[in-house]
Amino acid sequence: MLLDIRGQVTPDDSRQHVVYRFQLDRLTAKIWIRFNYSPKVLEDNERAKSLIIAGIDLYSAPEQKQLLKDAWERYQPLTNLITVSVDDPEGNRGACHRHDPEQLLFLAERDSSPGLTKGKLVAGVWSVTLSLHSIVSEQCSYHLQVWASEEETECIG
Amino acid sequence: MYWLASELHTHTDHSDGKQTLSELAEGAAKLGFECIALTDHNTLSGLDGRENVEREWGLTIIPGMEWTTFYGHMLTLGLQDFVDWRTAELSNIHKGISEVHRKAGLVGLAHPYRIGSPICTGCHWEYEIRNWNDIDYIEVWSGTFPSIKTDNLRAFSLWTDRLNEGYRIAATSGRDWHAQVATEEPVSVTYLGLRADKPQERNQISQDAVDALSHGRSVVTIGPLLTMEVESANSWFGIGDNVPAPSSDPDESIDGYWGHVKTVFSVRQGLWELPEQNFTLKIVGNTGTAAERSVGAADEVYRMNIPEGGLLWARAELWGTVHGVRALIAFTNAIYFNEGRGTE
Repeated sequence: MLLDIRGQVTPDDSRQHVVYRFQLDRLTAKIWIRFNYSPKVLEDNERAKSLIIAGIDLYSAPEQKQLLKDAWERYQPLTNLITVSVDDPEGNRGACHRHDPEQLLFLAERDSSPGLTKGKLVAGVWSVTLSLHSIVSEQCSYHLQVWASEEETECIG
Repeated sequence: MYWLASELHTHTDHSDGKQTLSELAEGAAKLGFECIALTDHNTLSGLDGRENVEREWGLTIIPGMEWTTFYGHMLTLGLQDFVDWRTAELSNIHKGISEVHRKAGLVGLAHPYRIGSPICTGCHWEYEIRNWNDIDYIEVWSGTFPSIKTDNLRAFSLWTDRLNEGYRIAATSGRDWHAQVATEEPVSVTYLGLRADKPQERNQISQDAVDALSHGRSVVTIGPLLTMEVESANSWFGIGDNVPAPSSDPDESIDGYWGHVKTVFSVRQGLWELPEQNFTLKIVGNTGTAAERSVGAADEVYRMNIPEGGLLWARAELWGTVHGVRALIAFTNAIYFNEGRGTE
């Protein structure tokens, strides 16, 4: 296992990137990244309402505010959003900006998960960046695992 | 001038879209688009296999990306090299913009007034813009039936305000197209004005399309193509061009400018419809409405006088009734005038 990290973040951590580096000692056939976070959905309706009302106050046109506030539930549910991006020793290898709270991703020379760039997996310092776009629940836990495989064709269900 | 029907804001399964590039291209081709910009969130990986998809569906794919950051979404167009979106901070967006420009790309504000975090993360533009000359374009129409949406009205006003301040910024539409879902709502098109006849080579079309946008040669519509040329002292100027100040010699008085506004209702035939009506055609600028007349649904050129005096810019607008609502149907980008710029 190249990385096996469990973390916990709060709304104060929103709008930050967290970078995890790992060393690849030699050219590798395949890198797997498993990432999940929980909860995805903010279940606390009162908290959701106050965040939505604050968002409407901050961002909407003055003449629209009351109308939108009256219909605040149309913005439900609020969700946490953490995305993964990857860098190899020579540059960026893409990002997976999607809303799934569980992702199993891979990189290899001839193929990769959508969002990531296929190509040689060279030795050196790599990094996985977690972008905390929005944390709305009081706490959000995540688990990041990275491991290498010598078989490019290896599949994991 | 060849007007290339383009959709400039799209996503695939390489980010949060629910479509492959081929499915997106198929959907675009069926709607009469000749060009799309692939602007996946924070990745360029979706461009892999682009040439095959272009051949398969006979359209051009401009490389792009949507910087999906914490304080705004910024579209980049025309560059295939990665510029790191993760370095963007509230007060330093110009650093990222400069990097995109160094790599010959353009930047545009995406849906700047969409509601922001945590409802739509980073969707509202909050970055400090210290110099609007750095902004190549503003996506003033986002989504379907865009012209009636409050967020877009605000974006349209933002663009107009910048033009009034003397900045030269283009305006575009973008569906922010994530999935092949049928819609009854009007779909907007950004037409990009290619200098010559449509080139054959796709990479050249892509470059020419980016060049067109960088020079403001674009037109936005939910139906007919609307273009304009300005005649001044026997010279003609197109959208995005700069009209020199008229001579101060009273013997060479030009009695205003002549706008030649063309409506083409025969574009993308069968792919859009508007109820039968008389439309209102206007030429609007920093000095207000310069000219206005009623027009029918015809391919026609209308010669309209634009009074001189203090002009900075002018654009054509076509108004009418859409789905029972009085709405802006099409607008050109600006033609710029030197006379309003003083003696700078």
